[in-house]
Amino acid sequence: MIYRETGQFRTSYAEDQAIFRLREDRIGIIVILAIAWVGIPLVADEYLLRAILIPFLILSVAAIGLNLLLGYCGQISLGTGAFMAVGAYAAYNLALRLPEIPLLIDFLLAGLIAAGIGIVFGLPSLRIKGLYLAVATLALQFFADWAFLRVHWFTNYTPSGSVTAPPLDIFGWLVDTPLEKYWLCLAFACATALFAKNLVRSRIGRSWMAIRDMDIAAEIIGIRPMHAKLSAFAVSSFIAGLAGVLWAFVHLGSWEPLAFSIDMSFRLLFMVIIGGMGSILGSFLGAAFITILPIFLNQVPAMVGIQLSTAMVSHLEFMIFGTLIVLFLIWEPHGLARLWQIGKEKMRLWPFPY
Amino acid sequence: MATATVTPPREAAERSVRRARQIGEVLLAVENISLRFGGVRALSNVSFDIRRGEIRAIIGPNGAGKSSMLNVINGFYQPQEGRIIWKGRALSRMRPYDAAKGGIARTFQNIALFKGMSTLDNIMTGRILKMRASFFEQALWIGRGKSEELRERAFVERILDFLEITHIRHVPVGKLPYGLQKRVELARALAMEPELLLLDEPMAGMNLEEKEDMCRFILDVNEEFGTTVALIEHDMSVVMDISDRVVVLDYGRLLADGTPEEVRNDPAVIEAYLGVSHG
Repeated sequence: MIYRETGQFRTSYAEDQAIFRLREDRIGIIVILAIAWVGIPLVADEYLLRAILIPFLILSVAAIGLNLLLGYCGQISLGTGAFMAVGAYAAYNLALRLPEIPLLIDFLLAGLIAAGIGIVFGLPSLRIKGLYLAVATLALQFFADWAFLRVHWFTNYTPSGSVTAPPLDIFGWLVDTPLEKYWLCLAFACATALFAKNLVRSRIGRSWMAIRDMDIAAEIIGIRPMHAKLSAFAVSSFIAGLAGVLWAFVHLGSWEPLAFSIDMSFRLLFMVIIGGMGSILGSFLGAAFITILPIFLNQVPAMVGIQLSTAMVSHLEFMIFGTLIVLFLIWEPHGLARLWQIGKEKMRLWPFPY
Repeated sequence: MATATVTPPREAAERSVRRARQIGEVLLAVENISLRFGGVRALSNVSFDIRRGEIRAIIGPNGAGKSSMLNVINGFYQPQEGRIIWKGRALSRMRPYDAAKGGIARTFQNIALFKGMSTLDNIMTGRILKMRASFFEQALWIGRGKSEELRERAFVERILDFLEITHIRHVPVGKLPYGLQKRVELARALAMEPELLLLDEPMAGMNLEEKEDMCRFILDVNEEFGTTVALIEHDMSVVMDISDRVVVLDYGRLLADGTPEEVRNDPAVIEAYLGVSHG
């Protein structure tokens, strides 16, 4: 394993500020992208795409959204599910009521509507911090649950409250096979990751991190807390809204308000915590952990030949999952992304221990 | 190179001549500032001024109101009475953002760095007010989004070089030793290209060598960039050596104001610091 920076001299600030500074990292990302775009489609069956990879990609997008807010700007939010719901229902209603707008534009508009709601519900963050802010965003979650269940206009007066997405027509490209859906989600995930990475290495990302680390010092160097916090809420809920649209239109197809309940918000929070706060890579790792682990835990008893009832399996799943989260918080509060970083540093020094 | 704690007399005399030319008009004046927290009077009726280009020390026993005074100047505390005149404009209150925009930078007594960020990123935050790129330029890393980052990076590299901290540019500041953290905080303040630099105990908790380094940096900043410096310091030998004029506060009142020589011989100051026997 040769992973060295020896001999790689960066001769300009542009090179030093690139996203992937080391040649090995650049090769690595190209390989990963090639596998994701070409390799997986060649080998994956429908189950893998539908049940694992599509949800994983969409939840990664949502986790990036929450990570910008929580990991980079330090504002706790328990309302990510609500922002996703706002995006999903906004896109649904736009598609329904203004059919002349192309669907992809609907998606972006839905993201903007979610961003607007995000700004409104981000206002409490100007006065309150930490757990108290978490409670304020929890209010949004309950409000959204209530609104989409009880205000029937949002669900177009369907008797059951469940709505169905229109066919996915992206400028003439009809996305209906699992593979095409996978490619669509992958495109969104790549774009979001790049967009988020650029933001966090620019002025706006630095002002978020400054607010997170020491808001008083941020203020004296000319960062306005209101701008920083509300822009974080806006960008975060835009991305979450977009993820909500994908979750509803691409993954579920038809859905009811419960799809975006507080469970979703908590799952995303766990993804960010386990994956690594303040890391874009961590959002992907966290999403992978949370979406794949339950499926894996589900399979394990059958694989080793133990016969358990379905109820028992799902209970065990919860217990093991909960234990893992607690252990993670104790041993590696910076998440999987930090483990990866430590691993890379070790590789750089290998075979020497220091 | 003038060491801070021991300055030969001839060199000191040369410096005083040179400095007389450098010091200009009044940059900032505080007039009749009174600040109360409930029933506690932190500052009562304090007035003094800071001239362009000088090194101004604010001293006094613990609880004298020195840090409160800095907090008033850069807008953290709103005084109940009095006004601040910044570059000829009278303000009844200063806001932290306006202070930063107007060219007032500061460091804190207990270091206020962004612990999760690298040295480089910490100092880059000091350039935030100089950057204009729109949201989309930043998100797409195009146009000003990229060009500003590189331009400001080059500027920050000069500060890293000036303060001799180039070797730690990619290290997260939380991992740095105390003395270096203090220096990074000074670098962040300098990155703002301030006209007035407020330093709250820049040498607290340092050993002699680190203090000498810090003194040298403060003098260099003052001489090379012409930055006006107002500092709070407890080490009297440092204060007497590097400052042009000294303000003495005690229990929130102004006790004395003048050159180090005048202040040192002021009976009221001697009483406040040493106490006198009332025989």
